[in-house]
Amino acid sequence: MMPLSHYLAFTFTLYIIGLYCLATKRNMIKLILGIEILINAANANFIVFSANWRAGYVDPLAHSIVIVSIALAGCVSAVALGIIVCAYRHYKTLDVRKLRRMRG
Amino acid sequence: MFTLPLDTLFVFAASTPIIGWILRKGGAEKLCGVYAIIGLLVSGSMVYNLFLEASKRPVTTSVCDEVYASCLRVDMLSVFMASTFIGIGLLAAVYSIKYMEGEKGIPLYYTLLLSMVGGMVGVAFAGDFFTLFVFWELMCVSSYVLVAFRKRRWESVEAGLKYLLMSAAGSASLLFGLSLIYGLAGTLNFHGLASVLKGVKPNIWLDMASLFLFAGFGIKAAVVPLHTWLPDAYSAAPAPISAILSAVVTETGVYALCRVFFTVFQPLQVQWSMVLAVLSLVTMTFGNITALLQDDLKRLLAYSSIGHIGYMLVGLAVGTQIGLTGTALHIFNHALMKGACFLCVGAFVYRVGVRRLDEIAGIGRRMPFTTIALCVSLFALTGMPPLNGFISELTLFMSSVEAGMTWLGVAIIVNSLFSSGYVLRVVKALLQRREAEGFENVKEAPLLMLTPILVMVFMIVLFGVWPDPVLEFARKAAYALLSMGR
Repeated sequence: MMPLSHYLAFTFTLYIIGLYCLATKRNMIKLILGIEILINAANANFIVFSANWRAGYVDPLAHSIVIVSIALAGCVSAVALGIIVCAYRHYKTLDVRKLRRMRG
Repeated sequence: MFTLPLDTLFVFAASTPIIGWILRKGGAEKLCGVYAIIGLLVSGSMVYNLFLEASKRPVTTSVCDEVYASCLRVDMLSVFMASTFIGIGLLAAVYSIKYMEGEKGIPLYYTLLLSMVGGMVGVAFAGDFFTLFVFWELMCVSSYVLVAFRKRRWESVEAGLKYLLMSAAGSASLLFGLSLIYGLAGTLNFHGLASVLKGVKPNIWLDMASLFLFAGFGIKAAVVPLHTWLPDAYSAAPAPISAILSAVVTETGVYALCRVFFTVFQPLQVQWSMVLAVLSLVTMTFGNITALLQDDLKRLLAYSSIGHIGYMLVGLAVGTQIGLTGTALHIFNHALMKGACFLCVGAFVYRVGVRRLDEIAGIGRRMPFTTIALCVSLFALTGMPPLNGFISELTLFMSSVEAGMTWLGVAIIVNSLFSSGYVLRVVKALLQRREAEGFENVKEAPLLMLTPILVMVFMIVLFGVWPDPVLEFARKAAYALLSMGR
């Protein structure tokens, strides 16, 4: 069995990839993908820890948390895509840096 | 299932679209707002029953019967926050009936309003971090849609998208922090965490987890430097929604930070005290100074909200019972003051359609009641003596002096001076003799909009002159918060 640190390295890498995506991408849909990657890093982390307490035992609490959290992430991205459609109608672009008409 | 007030809110939220559909067939879509108001009233009266129970001992509702599982736990602090949330939601709903008249999708608006209030009450009632997270997301998702509600205007769509991107990233960071805490302790229940983490020495994992949590809650609470979404979202949302966002949604972040630092991470509070103190100093100074530079009335109020979040963090930094009393009291008072301010500005926008200071100058003579209400609540924001802002700012000042952080107390006073700078500027512009053009036919705001404003102003004056009941309630709430971690 692989040690815990390998799995943690994986989830932290995933988190950093998500942050990188949020910081550098211009396309709104890619930004939403970045947020999804962040949430999935957290979900993977729950799963990793759930199997770590005792050999052969998996904590059901973490699994129920992950299932609910996947549903919540779905809601957030549905709302986000809806708002992006409206933004596209107003600005005719998906570039988030063009959304700068407001002051400050 | 989730304690009566929450159940009521959800039942009303879920049935509003159906009622709205029936009412539209009958041609009385306006009554949809009345239905939502009934829901808030019923739920508010149930909070009173809960208050009577919780004043004896915390009420726990287990969703399933294990000690370390998800549950709701209602103590005095939860009741204090819940009654503030429902009260502001109720006043904003009354105001919305007239303000949102003529918009499309009124039933949807009230559904979202009710579920946002429900989400906030749920956050206050949660007994473990995961329940808190689920209600948190409910609140966030409904507030994204409400900010972008008038989707035909580019302004609200742009603000909504910025808000969504920042806040969703914050929620993701929150979830990541929760997963680390789960990895450390094996549970997310507040009581379980408090007992597991009690004797733990601060280590790198605990610090990292609390950093992620702080980033997640801090984005919602608009702690500088995580505040950039706030001015846009507040100025673009419909006025009653700006009032709710500013008065209670950001404060939910402060409430969650209280729970994190005083029940779960007791060992870390001492270590974080200095960080919180510096952050509160930066937040209040930044908010108040930037507010001085604004011309748009709603943006000015939004920056002033950031400043007031700084005041609330003072209590967290101090960490004594009197400090937390000050924080709770300021959450309540700020909800009244800032709610009234945003509703007054909304009334101006409703009548004349502009909100820049130079365009709105001299309106005071046409809309006297709204202007007087706005002036009173603005003066309360600076902490002028007979009004309620004075009491809470004084409590925070006393607590910081008592805890040996006199510099933080001095910062509060200096910031009051800064804030009187922009308040006097607004008051002067409103009352000046020379009017901007086109105000000849402007009338006083409609009665339905004026009523919630006047109720708030009455409470501002009342709790300034006679603060004892709220002060006592806040003191009990702070005691409940501190006694839970022990």
